[in-house]
Amino acid sequence: MSVLRVAPRTAVVLVLASVAALATFTWPLFVPVQPENTARAGEAPLVFVVMLPVLVALVLAELTSGGIDSKALAMLGVLAAVNAALRPLGAGTAGIETVFFLLVLAGRVFGPGFGFLLGSTSLFASALLTAGVGPWLPFQMLAASWVGLGAGLLPRRPRGRAEVALLAGYGAVAAYGYGLLMNLWFWPFSAGADTQLSYVAGAPILENLHRFVFFTAVTSTFGWDTGRAITTAVLIALAGPAVLAALRRAARKAAFGAPVTFAAPEPGLPASLPTALLAAQAGKPAAGQPAGRDDRQHRWDQHHPLGSRVT
Amino acid sequence: MTDAAVGSSPTVDRWSARWSAWRLPRGLHPGAWWLWALGLATAASHTTNPLGLTLLVAVTALVVIQRRGHAPWALAFRMYVWLGVVIVAMRVVFRIVLGGGQGEHVLVRLPEIPLPEWAAGIRLFGPVAAEQVLGGFYDGLRLATMLICLGAANALANPKRLLKAVPGALYAVGTAVVVALSVAPQLVESVLRVRRARRLRGASGRGMRAFRGVALPVLADALDRSLALAAAMDSRGYGRTAAVPAGQRTVTGTLVLGGLLGVCAGTYGLLDTTGPGYLGLPLLLAGLAAAVGGMLLAGRRVRRSRYRPDRWQLAELLVAGCGIAAAGLMVLAGTVDPERLYPPVSPLTWPELTPLLLLAVAVAAVPAWLAPPPTPIPKDRA
Repeated sequence: MSVLRVAPRTAVVLVLASVAALATFTWPLFVPVQPENTARAGEAPLVFVVMLPVLVALVLAELTSGGIDSKALAMLGVLAAVNAALRPLGAGTAGIETVFFLLVLAGRVFGPGFGFLLGSTSLFASALLTAGVGPWLPFQMLAASWVGLGAGLLPRRPRGRAEVALLAGYGAVAAYGYGLLMNLWFWPFSAGADTQLSYVAGAPILENLHRFVFFTAVTSTFGWDTGRAITTAVLIALAGPAVLAALRRAARKAAFGAPVTFAAPEPGLPASLPTALLAAQAGKPAAGQPAGRDDRQHRWDQHHPLGSRVT
Repeated sequence: MTDAAVGSSPTVDRWSARWSAWRLPRGLHPGAWWLWALGLATAASHTTNPLGLTLLVAVTALVVIQRRGHAPWALAFRMYVWLGVVIVAMRVVFRIVLGGGQGEHVLVRLPEIPLPEWAAGIRLFGPVAAEQVLGGFYDGLRLATMLICLGAANALANPKRLLKAVPGALYAVGTAVVVALSVAPQLVESVLRVRRARRLRGASGRGMRAFRGVALPVLADALDRSLALAAAMDSRGYGRTAAVPAGQRTVTGTLVLGGLLGVCAGTYGLLDTTGPGYLGLPLLLAGLAAAVGGMLLAGRRVRRSRYRPDRWQLAELLVAGCGIAAAGLMVLAGTVDPERLYPPVSPLTWPELTPLLLLAVAVAAVPAWLAPPPTPIPKDRA
């Protein structure tokens, strides 16, 4: 089920903004030779650092432009709070990352649009709580949003153990992908301009890619990123079934997407009640065929002792 | 009659009253602090002069110490300073380990370690030249200064009040973040409550089982709380939207989509030098402007009321103006005297300051006295 309806226009905006945003991550791989002297070559990345927050804001505004349901909004806020509270648990301990676990599970249960929003809001709230707002924040937000979006786009069919295995596998891949993206963003800033691991402006993509792969392998892939992938996969495998059940239960309770109508209360009783009470439900529709509003109204008139007088 | 009384009172009195109102402790609009800090970061990005950068860091620290409040985020500044130190150290270490040894003044010769072919033909260590280390230091110091400026904004600006100032189109996301910020402390209380309940039932407080026994009830509690919160929001009229004519919606969509197409094309033009010049940065900026315009237009659909809105007063304008003026002066200093603002690494020279650079730093320091003092801690809580 999808809590947040993604309209076609929103999807187009999301794709366009993602394409432009991907360039802000990957520009060192194919940046041309700068005609100016090297001291001023630092201006090009600044353009992207300014551009990305705007792109993220655009996508977030577009996703919520259809009017987000108050239940979905409260759920988003609360899950973001849980994520933001989970995040400091892992910080400082090498590679233990606890953010993706809930992000992947919630993206799975509540759909791609919600997953995208949750990725952004979680990291933003976490940055505000720890006063960690900086140029890296929009990049982290977007990368985490992609993780949540991807979790919502996974095939819906698998359930049970297969689902947990799928999510754990996705979590590990997403954790590596997040690490790679953030390294790619951080690469020009950490290594500086003139070392053997820095990008070379104007060099073929493959050569720059080779350098980057070596940089990321040396600095983090075998340490931080592997730790992050393992933690995410293990957490999903261990706590996944229980958390999925809790989230699905909350989703059922919230009844997202149920049309809000102001009709007289219906006598349809929950299935858990004793059968003696159920006898009154003569007009119950066949399973799988939800009763429309007019239908319910009709039944109210027919079967309620006060029916005709109430209407 | 009151008007006449005010009008006839001496000008001196009025000015002194204004001055004391000015000095009243209050929190400055967070946007003003952010603009000031972004101005300083822009200024820092336009120089690699270590003297100028050090002065900027000192000025930032002065303003933070003078004007920060007592909220938890006010303590973040120290963390940013340490982060800056780490960045400078990392740059220098990278230059030493992977530098490749360009430069005349060799400080030490470390043993070289050539790596195999699959490692991009890199060799580690080797001769360490002073030019190379200094270049890394300058570059790192510039990045660290920019970060420390942003750290100052983090320490000075109240994030909760900043969220109130988000544009209408981001109202929903802003509300979600506000919910997250206020729910997060409640989670701690929830954890304590669940643990107490477990102890009352005689369960031990350790191990994986205890973790599951606490974590899941806390999650379920939080989810239930979200439903209660949604009901409360509904009953207070959340989600009221204004009717938007179909024509305006079309305009909004066209602006956003067209702007984003422009951004994509502009990014491509920026990274591809074979195309004409106007396909690069100008197209990108035009696209961004169009898309943002569309977004702001879409935000008019949201109807909201504000409790105690933050207003832009003279102090806010002055503080933000100081930051922007510092950035402008630094750019000007760069056009007047580029040699001093980007001191060359080879040949090795001692960096020197210029009058314009000093003026930029001085302007950046003014908010330390100009901004109203932060609200003190109430006596009973101190």
